[in-house]
Amino acid sequence: MAKVIGIDLGTTFSCVAVMEGGEPTVIPNQEGGRITPSVVAISKSGERLVGQVAKRQAITNPDNTIFSIKRLMGRRFSEPSVQRDIKLLPYKIVEAANGDAHVAMGGRNYSPPEISAMILQKLKTDAEAYLGEKITEAVITVPAYFNDSQRQATKDAGKIAGLEVLRIVNEPTAASLAYGLDKKQDEIVAVYDLGGGTFDISVLELGEGTFQVKSTNGDTHLGGDDFDQHIIDWLCDEFRRDQGIDLRQDRMALQRLKEAAEKAKCELSTVMQTEVNLPFITADASGPKHLNITLTRAKLEQLVGDLVENTIGPCQQAIQDAGVAAAQIDEVILVGGQTRMPLVQEKVKQLFGREPHKGVNPDEVVGVGAAIQAGVLKGEVKDVLLLDVTPLTLSIETLGGVATALIPRNTTIPTSKSQIFSTAADNQPSVEIHVLQGERPMAADNRTLGRFMLDGLLPAPRGLPQIEVTFDIDANGILSVKAQDKGTGREQRITITASSGLSKDDVTRMQREGEMHAAEDARRREEAEARNTADTLVYTAEKTLREQGDKVPADLRQQVEGKIAAVRSALQSGDVSNIKRSTQELSDTLQRVGAAVYQAAGQPPPGGAQPPPHKEDEGTVEGDFREV
Amino acid sequence: MEERGKQTSEGSEIEEASRAVGDIETLKDALAEEKNKAESYLANWQRAQADFMNLKRRTEQERAELTKFAASTIVAELLAVLDDFDLALGNIPQGAADASWVDGIRLIQRKLLSVLEAQGLAQIKALGKDFDPYFHEAVMFADGEEGKVVEEVQKGYTFRDRLLRPAKVKVGRGKEA
Repeated sequence: MAKVIGIDLGTTFSCVAVMEGGEPTVIPNQEGGRITPSVVAISKSGERLVGQVAKRQAITNPDNTIFSIKRLMGRRFSEPSVQRDIKLLPYKIVEAANGDAHVAMGGRNYSPPEISAMILQKLKTDAEAYLGEKITEAVITVPAYFNDSQRQATKDAGKIAGLEVLRIVNEPTAASLAYGLDKKQDEIVAVYDLGGGTFDISVLELGEGTFQVKSTNGDTHLGGDDFDQHIIDWLCDEFRRDQGIDLRQDRMALQRLKEAAEKAKCELSTVMQTEVNLPFITADASGPKHLNITLTRAKLEQLVGDLVENTIGPCQQAIQDAGVAAAQIDEVILVGGQTRMPLVQEKVKQLFGREPHKGVNPDEVVGVGAAIQAGVLKGEVKDVLLLDVTPLTLSIETLGGVATALIPRNTTIPTSKSQIFSTAADNQPSVEIHVLQGERPMAADNRTLGRFMLDGLLPAPRGLPQIEVTFDIDANGILSVKAQDKGTGREQRITITASSGLSKDDVTRMQREGEMHAAEDARRREEAEARNTADTLVYTAEKTLREQGDKVPADLRQQVEGKIAAVRSALQSGDVSNIKRSTQELSDTLQRVGAAVYQAAGQPPPGGAQPPPHKEDEGTVEGDFREV
Repeated sequence: MEERGKQTSEGSEIEEASRAVGDIETLKDALAEEKNKAESYLANWQRAQADFMNLKRRTEQERAELTKFAASTIVAELLAVLDDFDLALGNIPQGAADASWVDGIRLIQRKLLSVLEAQGLAQIKALGKDFDPYFHEAVMFADGEEGKVVEEVQKGYTFRDRLLRPAKVKVGRGKEA
């Protein structure tokens, strides 16, 4: 079953996304960009260029580079907006035989759908390259104010590009889908879309799972580019005041200023001030000149405040036309890169009296929504199994009362996880599996889900038996725990149903408690580990002294025994740093025993007299587990 | 009486038989439904498996790319510094061109460039070449041979063979000055 892609066919940029495993993914183009400029050109050599490549040669080929074609989609030549755009756009707009507005490119005329189809073609090809499969169907978005002929033109563009357009979706509706608002009931949604070149405000009513457009308004020539221009103007004015030169006369300087202004604007969304640093910006008779001006966020907000104010009127009009009061609007969504600016977000909050949704990348939110709609139409949402996650970590209790996690929280289920454990004491005949649920590192602070014993273990030194513990959660959240002695093959298991765990409130409470006690828990875990290390080392030291017998010089033996006693008393005292220190001293002293024995033997040591690897040092406690 | 008994037992046999046939039909339907379900589960499982394999493949590709191009972000930011060096050395004050201090600056530029080249940075050769929008960005026309790059306003670079920043160039308009 082929995938259906969702396409945001924007005036200046386009974005493609697709549903994968129930999640929308933005598809990067072949150049690695997540958005593609909506620019088409025919080069002097007749090659068709689309996207960033087309943008790069625009200046040398203005007649044959078409951008913002969306402004002409489905429009007639005689329309006032087309007539106005003719003055602003450098390429030729002509009247077709049927009265539509067409464009001239590369020596022939094209209808706007044909141009849009070229953009769609590139998006399609790049998506196929990324996904590794053919794409024949798509959902494409259009502004809510598009009329029938404009929507039909968009559908035609899809067809020309080889895409069956399953649906034309309104951009504000797509944005609402991206935020999952369709799951709600009977709500009024406002979508504030401030992009690079246009501002659109839409008020939608959600009822019975469908969105209805109640009103739209906006400004087709207000966007981020205007914000940049205000900054450039200010920089030029400041420079002229300081240095007496008008940078507006210098094409190359303006180029650098434009880039720097946009960069500064973006940075000021996260920091309070930034430096515009342009050495050698120009030169005059007295030598080269540099531009180095600090722009604060406060100053920026002053410079563009009027532009943001200009969005308020259309918003108020749209609210009025929708027949509602601002207070009745339940949700507000931000779309378009310029909405990243804190001032814009503040204004929106003031206007609508609530915090706007902004978690999804504002440049991609419409494309993401289109993909979600595509998924719904294709039935993918129906076919996808809704999988749960386990909300709390599942562990077993190991040596020292520590909770050792097997399945961390938020793991998608069904899932299965195994780990090998071993015994803590020599000849330990059985192990107890204590199943826990919760985030705390100590077993006692977590909730017991169940316990069982696995017995019949053969006599063996501690750490030798291999007990495999397996946690298995099925799709219904039922946990079964199995413990198997890999040596004897004996196994035991229990099944824990979801209800024997915790309620939703309990879950949240435990998660919060886990966070609150993080520091304290870390300390206690450290203490438990220090104890375990000490215990194991004492055991090993005593074993070594026993086994090596006479090979250990008497005075050294006395020292070791002294250190062992020191560790024992440190364990009694419970002082962690004391335990650690005395353990280290015992370890150092023990190494000298090894050295003495090797010297006496004059050859590589026999097995068994080696100190254990540090990681597995744990003490002797009856019936407990230790990690291997 | 025997006749009637036989008829009754025949009647009940027929009843049983038709019940059995009814049961068989129900079972057949149930079986067909289960078969459909099983097929759809298998298909969905296969699809999920395939999606997973594709995701895995793509994740590995992305990870390899990420490792290869991880440094490209910071190198891209450093290009601004390289640019400023170009500007500085392009604007040496009158008579100072031979000053050893200027040589020092030149050496610093060389050093920055070689550090970045060692990472995989390479300059795009633009001057004199045919204008190519895949590697060049046209900023204006200038006098010179049509379609050729007549001046490099800002250097362009590739990083490990991938375009990092196109060269900003002036393109010949075809008229000789």
